[in-house]
Amino acid sequence: MSFQLRCPQCGPRSVYEFRFGGEVRQRPLPDAAQEEWYRYVHTKKNQAGEQMEWWFHRSGCRQWLQAVRNTISNEVKRTWFPDEDNE
Amino acid sequence: MSTFDFDGHSVNAEPGDTVGSALYRAGQRVFSRSFKYHRPRGLLCAAGRCPNCLVNVNGVPNMPACVTPAREGMVVRHQNAWPSLETDALSAAQHFDFLMPVGWYYKVFRSLKLWHMVEPHIRAVAGLGEPPGVDEIKGEYEHAWWHAEVAVVGGGSSGMAAALEYAGRGASVVLIDDQPSLGGRARYQSSAADLAAVRERVSNEAGVRVLSRSYCFGLFEGNLLGVLQPNPHGAVKERLIHLRAGHVVVAAGAYETPLVFANNDLPGVMLSTAAQRLIRLHGIKPAATAVVVGGGPRAAGVVADLKNAGVRIAGVVEPAAIRSASGGHCVTGVKTDTGSIPCDLLVICGPLVPDAGLLAQAGAKLVWNQAHGAFLPTGLPPNVSAVGSVCGTGLAGTPANRGGASKRSFVCVCSDVTTADLDGAVREGFDHIETLKRYTTTTMGPCQGRMCQLAAVEICAGLTGRSMDATGVTTSRPPNPPVSLGALAGPRHHPIRRTPMHDEHQQLGAVWLDMGDWKRPRYYRAGSGDETACVRAEYQAVRERVGLIDVSTLGKLILQGRDAGKLLDKVYTHRFSDLKPGRVRYAVICDESGVILDDGTIAALAGDRYFISTTTGNLEFVDQWLRWWLAGTGWDAWLTNMTSGFAAVNLAGPKARETLRKITDCDLSSESFPYMGCREAEVAGVRSLLVRIGFVGETGWEIHCPAEEGPKVWQALMKAGAEFDIRPFGIEAQRLLRLEKKHVIVGVDTDALTTPIDAGMTWVARLDKPDFVGRAALTQASQAPPRESLVGFEMQDDTLPDDGAPVVLGGRPVGRVTSARYSPVRQRTIGMAWVPVDHAAEGSAIAIRSGGRLVQALVKQAAFHDPEGGRLRQ
Repeated sequence: MSFQLRCPQCGPRSVYEFRFGGEVRQRPLPDAAQEEWYRYVHTKKNQAGEQMEWWFHRSGCRQWLQAVRNTISNEVKRTWFPDEDNE
Repeated sequence: MSTFDFDGHSVNAEPGDTVGSALYRAGQRVFSRSFKYHRPRGLLCAAGRCPNCLVNVNGVPNMPACVTPAREGMVVRHQNAWPSLETDALSAAQHFDFLMPVGWYYKVFRSLKLWHMVEPHIRAVAGLGEPPGVDEIKGEYEHAWWHAEVAVVGGGSSGMAAALEYAGRGASVVLIDDQPSLGGRARYQSSAADLAAVRERVSNEAGVRVLSRSYCFGLFEGNLLGVLQPNPHGAVKERLIHLRAGHVVVAAGAYETPLVFANNDLPGVMLSTAAQRLIRLHGIKPAATAVVVGGGPRAAGVVADLKNAGVRIAGVVEPAAIRSASGGHCVTGVKTDTGSIPCDLLVICGPLVPDAGLLAQAGAKLVWNQAHGAFLPTGLPPNVSAVGSVCGTGLAGTPANRGGASKRSFVCVCSDVTTADLDGAVREGFDHIETLKRYTTTTMGPCQGRMCQLAAVEICAGLTGRSMDATGVTTSRPPNPPVSLGALAGPRHHPIRRTPMHDEHQQLGAVWLDMGDWKRPRYYRAGSGDETACVRAEYQAVRERVGLIDVSTLGKLILQGRDAGKLLDKVYTHRFSDLKPGRVRYAVICDESGVILDDGTIAALAGDRYFISTTTGNLEFVDQWLRWWLAGTGWDAWLTNMTSGFAAVNLAGPKARETLRKITDCDLSSESFPYMGCREAEVAGVRSLLVRIGFVGETGWEIHCPAEEGPKVWQALMKAGAEFDIRPFGIEAQRLLRLEKKHVIVGVDTDALTTPIDAGMTWVARLDKPDFVGRAALTQASQAPPRESLVGFEMQDDTLPDDGAPVVLGGRPVGRVTSARYSPVRQRTIGMAWVPVDHAAEGSAIAIRSGGRLVQALVKQAAFHDPEGGRLRQ
């Protein structure tokens, strides 16, 4: 694995500067059913293709960002900070 | 001129010589002994691509002599031969080849026991050089990270043209060439066009950075090239460059490979390009009489170069006419369809193979092209291109195999695999090129298939009746060519973190313990220096008088902003938004499955300002975790990592208050500064944060001050405590002190499945809060009793079980010890252990396996020392 990610703050950087933070998922409401919490905690989509995910720029600006990455080709379509407009 | 040592003899080297060329000039013809049969082997490719001239240079094994520059004072040793290269006793192996067909040891040693008995002997006899010992590795290796708009691999005519073209368009170009100087085959073939003018232009082009004698060993995702550059400067032996390029141009050319016929591995059987290199690059007349195997203009060019060097040409033989080479140690002649010709050099114009490994690694498909007689790259990914003979330009096919199955026709010179071996393997059913490779190890030796791949594919296709395309090639993987392990490992640097009080500890006789990158005192050597006695003395100081420990390694974070309390309420299991300024609370982080991730304390400095401590090892995690829960919320909360900014100590013991009182104006009475309180005050004139907590179970204060003032505060406390015989204490005493209080260490007493409910800390999980991370899981867990419980135990004697010792019930392991120490206060061994919940009641008898026997212990619910916590609150 040696692709690059574009950090919205620092520009294109080696993936080794980042920590992978998993799929972007919707956390259930606090009083959601156990079943829903179970799925959130223990199952992942494990998408083959494009997915939205978290990355932390550990050796850079130390901010969490989100990215759309193709898990097959490692092509990173977009990156943004989560408080920015996604589009 | 310089001299170097080869097997105890002095060898002269001319300027520009390699170890190989100097040895050849000095008359050396046998350079190595083969892997399996110990047959003599001589210079074959003279380009660093074959295994024949691997030697040990200055202790580093498997260096190709033919491309290793000769340097004054070098110590060069042969490999894999005993007692010498000329008379290798192990060459008797070739007379027993009928006992050792491909895969013989799979078939012979079918008992694992037998295999383990013979394996060391086989390994000693077969193989390559000996790896050096750790201390024998001289010199340094380094890594570098470069960026270029364009990287060109190959310094021949095509590579130089590409570099000039891109540079002309204003791009920054790095040109990587594995030769000592630019020019490619024009350097050693008089028939090639003269490139002096182009070389001149490239050298003068400011936009092109040339790396000579440097190898690209891999092309990875995102156009990342692994480049090995020898002797970049000073004492550095090799530099590994991680080169990221916007565009990669592969102009690696084509290399020559052997023909397969009987005795084709004899010293004196040499590729035509090897002979040309010896002549043109090193001014060596390679032999008196040569026979050239080849045809057409290529052979004519080789003949001309040999004649120019004064070599008599005894004949030019068409490849189809060759039968075998003859000779014992070295070639003495060649047998053809029409007769025998004596010679002392057999020059082979072998098939040219495009050096397309990097392109295949980048995702290109290699497709057979009959006209060029080569597998050519197609389907190149974007941002990678190929030019020159790597694409087939100028290549005309010659079949490699010139005979039937024979035990003396070597396909793979690395592992001594013959045409007979391939024939047998295919008949045994290994008829796919990938299984044939794995079964026979063809293409798996040091040359990584560069000498044998084409011949192996051709033979496999012939034996199976499939086309070259249907047979295909084996997968190309990095590293290609080989890379030294030292270069991959890089500089042997390891970061060390020292606390601000490091020198104080050193002077006090600290015995160090590595915790992550940190150095922490394990204990302080005093008196006899016996660890048990030292730890006991430190322990007693804390329990009876006063002790001081450096806790600067704790993670220290400041969180501030209107929504700081809201974030803490969300991430920590306890409630913090209601924590009054001046108060401290124990703090636990769980994940969404309720598992404990870290613990620490949180002090409220003001309504919107909190001081968070984390365990030493989990700071980075907690920092990232808090930032993740904050990301995208828009909350007004700001996290600052102050770990390196603050020094911290813990002053604890019955005399702690009297000690601290001497150097602070802060009112330390329990009425105004109770247990679990915090104050900002001056200590020894240094603005500090005082936190009254008690990990070790005595009255005590954690004191945080600016890092640069740490030694001053430490010294002042030691001085103030002198009248009470204050002692510095280390990690070992701290672990014993906290164990007597049954204070849990996350990651030692808990594991990756432990929830606060399992650990008996239900009180930290405020399930009445509307939401926090892990609430759903903990709510569910709280509704059913846990299966296991973390309890304290007291041994019935002074046996000291290891951490992890099993708790045994009815002959079966049902739990485990997490921590155990001899307790001075209980005068026996105490500890904590996971036990089944029906054995967790006070006084339950459990058995612990220690030192091969079962020892009885009793479960203790309360802390072993001061169970009511009165001493903490005094």
